[in-house]
Amino acid sequence: MSISQTIDLENFNDIDMKKIAGYRKEDGFELVVEIEKLHLGFKIKGYLKGYVDEVELFKFKRPDKLLVNNWQSWGPSKVTQKDFQLNFPRELIQKFGFSASIMPELYFDNLLSDYYVASECFFVGCLSSKVAHPYFQIDGDEVSVRLKYFGMNFDEWNETETIVILLDKPEVTLPYYADLVAKENVVNISDKRWVGWSSWYQYFVDFDYEKMCADLENARARGYDVFQIDDAWEVDIGDWTPNNKFPSLEKVAAKIKEYGYIPGIWLAPFSVSETSTLFMKHPDWLVKDGNGNPRVAYENWNKKIYALDTTVPQAVDWLTSLFEHLKDCGFEYFKIDFLFAAAIQGKRFENVTPVQAYIQGLNAIRQAVADSFVLGCGAPLLPSVGYVDGMRIGPDTAPYWDANGPDIGHPNAYYALRNVLTRWHINGIWWWNDPDCLMLRKVDTQLSDAQRELYTLVSLLLDNMIIQSDNLSYEIDDRLWTVVSEYRKYGKRKVLLSGIMSGQYNITSCGVDGCDLLSITDLEKCVFTYSKDSGDIKLEKTIEMQDDGRRFNYYNEND
Amino acid sequence: MMERRYNVLADEWVMISAFTQQRPTNPTTSCPLCVGGDEFSRPYDLASFDNRFPSMKVDAPNVESENSLYKKARSNGKCEVVVYTVDHNSAMSLMPIHQIEKLIKMWADRYLELSLQPTMKYIFIFENRGSEVGATLSHPHGQLYAFPFLPKRIEAKVQSLAKYYDEHGRCAICDVVENEVSIRERLVYENESFIALVPFYARWPYEVHVYPKRHVSSLVELNNSERNLLSKVLKVVTMKYDLLFQQSFPYMMMLFQSPVNDIRYEHAFHFHIEFNPVKRDKNKIKWMASVETGTWAFINPKLPEEAAAELRSVEVII
Ligand SMILES: [Zn+2]
Ligand SMILES: [Zn+2]
Repeated sequence: MSISQTIDLENFNDIDMKKIAGYRKEDGFELVVEIEKLHLGFKIKGYLKGYVDEVELFKFKRPDKLLVNNWQSWGPSKVTQKDFQLNFPRELIQKFGFSASIMPELYFDNLLSDYYVASECFFVGCLSSKVAHPYFQIDGDEVSVRLKYFGMNFDEWNETETIVILLDKPEVTLPYYADLVAKENVVNISDKRWVGWSSWYQYFVDFDYEKMCADLENARARGYDVFQIDDAWEVDIGDWTPNNKFPSLEKVAAKIKEYGYIPGIWLAPFSVSETSTLFMKHPDWLVKDGNGNPRVAYENWNKKIYALDTTVPQAVDWLTSLFEHLKDCGFEYFKIDFLFAAAIQGKRFENVTPVQAYIQGLNAIRQAVADSFVLGCGAPLLPSVGYVDGMRIGPDTAPYWDANGPDIGHPNAYYALRNVLTRWHINGIWWWNDPDCLMLRKVDTQLSDAQRELYTLVSLLLDNMIIQSDNLSYEIDDRLWTVVSEYRKYGKRKVLLSGIMSGQYNITSCGVDGCDLLSITDLEKCVFTYSKDSGDIKLEKTIEMQDDGRRFNYYNEND
Repeated sequence: MMERRYNVLADEWVMISAFTQQRPTNPTTSCPLCVGGDEFSRPYDLASFDNRFPSMKVDAPNVESENSLYKKARSNGKCEVVVYTVDHNSAMSLMPIHQIEKLIKMWADRYLELSLQPTMKYIFIFENRGSEVGATLSHPHGQLYAFPFLPKRIEAKVQSLAKYYDEHGRCAICDVVENEVSIRERLVYENESFIALVPFYARWPYEVHVYPKRHVSSLVELNNSERNLLSKVLKVVTMKYDLLFQQSFPYMMMLFQSPVNDIRYEHAFHFHIEFNPVKRDKNKIKWMASVETGTWAFINPKLPEEAAAELRSVEVII
C-alpha cells in the first residue's frame, strides 16, 4: 500500500479535497480518484485497473469521539474514545470466526469500523458494498479509508464503490447518508408493517408443534399479522426438513393460517453443520480454505459450521428450490439467519469477492420468495440493502440486561437496545429495523418493569418492527401491549434521534396523534423520561371501499 | 388516457388525463359533498376520498416510452378530495378552531399513510377556493395530490433551500422567521409557534405565507399544542381575507412539506403554507398571464409591506 493523503475534517478546507483527487500508480494497480460536490459534502469515486487486494483512498485525522460500526447485524455500533481497547475475549475468537468480522485476520488486534464512521461534525461512509468491503482502520491519530477487494484482477478500468464525506452533525448526516445509500442501491421499502410473534425468546430450541398450537390458541385476541416459528423445527443446520417434533411444513403453515396469521419460518440458509446430510453429500458446495478443505465459518449448536458456496450453480439451485418449497408450503415470512456465512473469505467455484458471493446467494433467495417478507439476521449490512424487507440491527436480546457484559454480539438486552439506538437512522430507509423481540411476560424473565418498558418504547418510537416472543399463557404486561396497539394503529412515523455521541439519547417520534418524546439519560441504568403528546382530539378513522373501487377515509371524533 | 409525458424543452413532466374533460363545471344541481349528494349517503365529520375524476391513480396503466425523445411514465399517484366538514355553508374562515385541528390531524394521517407507498415522492395538500381559481364546488373542501415524481417548483424549492443550507449552514426559512419577527413590518399575525406574513418575495398582491417558528419539515412533526396554534393561524388569515374586501375571498392555499421517501433535505426544508390569492382589489383580478406562465417571473403590483399593513389592520376575533 502506498502513501495517501491525510486530511483534517474537523478543520475542513476545500483544498484538502483536491489533494485526494488524481492519478496514482500503486503496487500492481493504477488508481484514479475523482471528487464531486454533493449537498453537505463530497462524493469520492475511484477507478481501478490491475491486481488489487486493497485500496487506501485517503486518511483523515482521528477525532476524540468516533461512532464506529460493525459489518453485520449483531456487531456493535458505538461511540469510541481515543483510549478505546477492543479486548475481545481470546477464548471466543475461534468460536466467533467470521461472525465478528469479514477480516478476522485484522479485526481482533485493531480498531476497525465497517461501512461508515461519524463524529460530532463530520461523517465518512460508503454508499454500497457490491464488490469491495469498505472499512476504516483507526490507528493512533489517523483513520484510513479503505476498500478491500480480497485479491481481484481488473483487466479494464473498474469503478469503485462511492465514498461520501458529509460535514454536519450526526442527526443530520446519519439519516442523510442512509438515504443516499438507499438511492444508490434502488431500495423499494416494503409497505408490510407487520406485528408478529416468534417462538425464540421463550422456548429457544425447546419448542414443538404442541407448544405452537397452544400459543396460537392463546394468541386469539392479540391481532398479530405474522406468527413465526424459530430455530427448533429442522433436522439439522443444512437439512431443512421438519424433525420429529413437528408434522409436515404444509400442516404447520396451514395451522397458523387457520388463526388468520401469516406463517413465518426461521432458517440459516448459508450454514451447513458438520453433522448434516448436506455436508456429507456435498462437500463440493462449501467454501474452502487455501488447502482445498471446507473452511469453518463459525461454531454454534456445539458444532462446526461451514459456509455454502453461493457461486456453485447446483448449490444455488438447491437454495432456490428450498425457498420455493417453503413458499409452496404456505410460508410468506422468512427469517434468514447467520447470513454472514456466505461472505466469509475463501476459495469459491467462481472467482468473485466474498461480498459478490454473498449478494448472489441473497439474490437467489429474494427471487425464489418473490414478494414474501424477508427478515435478515446475522447479516453483512451494506451488501444486503435492497434485498431484504427487514433486518436485525443488533445482537440477540435476552431475558436479562447486563451493562457489564462483553460488547461483542452476545445475547444481552442492554447491547441489543444500544444498537437499536445507534442504528436508528437506517430504519424505514434501507429496510425496517428489527430491534429483536419484545418480551412482555412478567414471569420467567430477569428484565425489570423499567427495562421492559424502555425496550418497548424505543422500538415503538423509532418505528421499528414489532415481534413479541412470549409463552402467551404466562402473565403478560398488558399495559405495554396496549401501548403497542395504540402506536401501530396508524402508518409510518417521523423520527429524529439526537445525542448519539454523548449517549444521552433524545427521541422525537411524530405520528398522527402528536409528537412523543423519550429521553434516555442513562441507558446502563435504564433511566429515562417519556412524554406522550396525546392532545384533546381523538380521531377514529374508518375506511370504506365504494363499488367503483374508490376508497373513502372517514374521520370521526371520538369523545 | 392517463399517463405522464416528459417535456425535453423544460425538463418537466406533464400529466395527461383525458378523463378530466368529463368533469362537471360548476354543477348547479345538488352538492355532491353534502349528505345525500353523489358522494355521501350518510352523515360524516371529515373525510378524504379518491377523486372521481383523478389525473393519477395508484393502479394507473403501464406505459412505454415511444422513444428517447418522447418519454412516458406511469401516472401512479393519487388524487383525493379532502372534505373539511359536513356543513355546506362553512369555510376555513367560518369553521371552529376545533374543526381545523381535526383537519390538521387528517392531513397528517393522509401524509403518513400515503408516504408508506414507496412510489410516492411528494404529497401536495391544497385548497382552491372560489370560482376565480377554478373551484367547482363551494362545499368546504381541499384536495391532495400524491405525486410519483417531484414536481418542478417543488424541486426548485428543495434545491434552493439545500443551496442556502450549504452556503450558510442554516435553514433559509429559519433565518427568514428570525428576521421577520425582529423587523415586523411584513407580519400579518404571530403567535407562540407561527408567523403569518406577506413575504419579502411575494408574487401575488395579498400573498400570505405561514411559517412555523421551530424547524419542522412536515406538519406531522408539529405537536398538539402547535397544531392548535396552526389552526388559529389558518382561521385568522382566512378571516382577514374575507374581511379585507367584505367578500368571500378567493385563494389557493398550498401546504409545502418535505418530499416523502427521501429524507435527504429534511434539515433544509422548512414546512410552510402559501396562500396565493388572485385579487388585487375588490373587483380586480391579478391574472396568471403570459409573463407569469411563460417565464415563471411574477410582477407584483402591490408593495408587500403595504399589503401586510392592510391585512394586519383587519381586526379579527377568534
Ligand atoms: Zn355541500
Ligand atoms: Zn427551518
